[in-house]
Amino acid sequence: MTAGIAPIVEITRVSKRFATVQALDGVSLSVSRGEVVCLIGPSGSGKSTLLRTINGLEPIDNGTVTFDGIDVHARRTDIRKIRQRMGMVFQNFELFPHMTVRRNVMVGPEKVLRLPAAEARDRSELLLAKVGLREKADVHPAQLSGGQQQRVAIARALAMQPAVMLFDEPTSALDPETIGEVLNVMKRLADEGMTMIVVTHEMSFARRVADRIAVFDHGRIIEVGPPSQIFEHPTVHRTQEFLSHLGWDAAPKRNLESDSTGVPE
Amino acid sequence: MRFDWSVITDNWPLLLYGAGNTILLAVCTMALALPGGLLLAALRMTPWAPVRGFATAFVEFFRTTPVILQVYWVFYVLPVMTDIRLSAFGTGLAALTLNVSAFNSETFRAGLNSIRPGQRNAGLSLGMSGWQVLRLVVLPQAVPRVLPALASTWVSLFKDTSLVSVIAIEELSYVGLQLRAQSFRVLEVLTAMAVLYWIMGYPQAKLVDWIHRRIKVAE
Repeated sequence: MTAGIAPIVEITRVSKRFATVQALDGVSLSVSRGEVVCLIGPSGSGKSTLLRTINGLEPIDNGTVTFDGIDVHARRTDIRKIRQRMGMVFQNFELFPHMTVRRNVMVGPEKVLRLPAAEARDRSELLLAKVGLREKADVHPAQLSGGQQQRVAIARALAMQPAVMLFDEPTSALDPETIGEVLNVMKRLADEGMTMIVVTHEMSFARRVADRIAVFDHGRIIEVGPPSQIFEHPTVHRTQEFLSHLGWDAAPKRNLESDSTGVPE
Repeated sequence: MRFDWSVITDNWPLLLYGAGNTILLAVCTMALALPGGLLLAALRMTPWAPVRGFATAFVEFFRTTPVILQVYWVFYVLPVMTDIRLSAFGTGLAALTLNVSAFNSETFRAGLNSIRPGQRNAGLSLGMSGWQVLRLVVLPQAVPRVLPALASTWVSLFKDTSLVSVIAIEELSYVGLQLRAQSFRVLEVLTAMAVLYWIMGYPQAKLVDWIHRRIKVAE
């Protein structure tokens, strides 16, 4: 297998049903190393569920998810080994409130990777500096703003030196004035070549940073393409509808009238 | 009415002996009921329905019937049903342990459930094992939350030890009531018992208040 060409994450016809809802309905998506893919779509369309199946937090009914060629959901797979190489950032931060900021960032390297404490500490210093929160190392998360907490959460995930970063609506719980600082950190990560899969409602971020965007609706991916396609020439009517709900009217009007079947131009 | 405190001054070693047994019984009960409660809480949260059902029935039985009935039951029925014969102290210890375990399991369950699932997911997504998540993430947050409830249970338990006097365990109540029966100095004996319980119980109640205040401040 040739690294760099083979996809790092490959999702093939994944289905997942909750009691009455088909959360994922045969979703396929592959993500290459260094790629930034944003998952957008209405609430409840399956974006977050898909993200959670990638690191095995959500079991699947059908299909396969592979990470670096390993079947994530296979019984013989040591899921912990896989999770150690994937960072995850949650909507509600989920920092550990009983630990200082530094402990939050150190705990993975120290307890999971079994690094010597001094090394884990150095790593946390470096990462906290990277997200601009070095001076907050000794406070508890509750004393930080939402934006600061989310930056610590990113540092915590990066401390495992992951091959892929998964972001589950990282700015949805934030005050508007702190969204920017989190998006900036994410943008910088993307510029450094980190592979990222981002569930987001921040359309301007998706447009600026994503290499590709996947549009979800009712548990399916209805359109995948580069931002220029999705935002300027969407080929699927539902995509235009969703974007115009959010105030994006870049799509030419003629598409709205002519296309309701999803046929590319 | 004339008071005659000689019944107390002559018999205080006996009363202290009773008080010592009260403390011993309460400490032993809690020492067993903490792991007992954890075990029951774990059983109630297993994915295996019959185990869950059994644990739930157990807990509900001991929470909803009088302690004194449970004491009698262990004393009279258990030997007949199971051929297990315990000493009087062992019987009282067993009954109180079953009862307090049931209460503790509810406390532990509430404490564990109060930690939102996202915390668990955050630990798992770092590659932690289930055990590491419990030890590093869940328990450190749950323990401070259950401490106040455990402390209240402890204070109740301390007083409930008096109920095992009905099966002749020589704790403070039994010793006191015996003394009353022999001397007919009802007022003096009961007053002395009350004072002894108060001397032992008051610091505990204050400690519980202090724990409640501390936890509130910490949150």
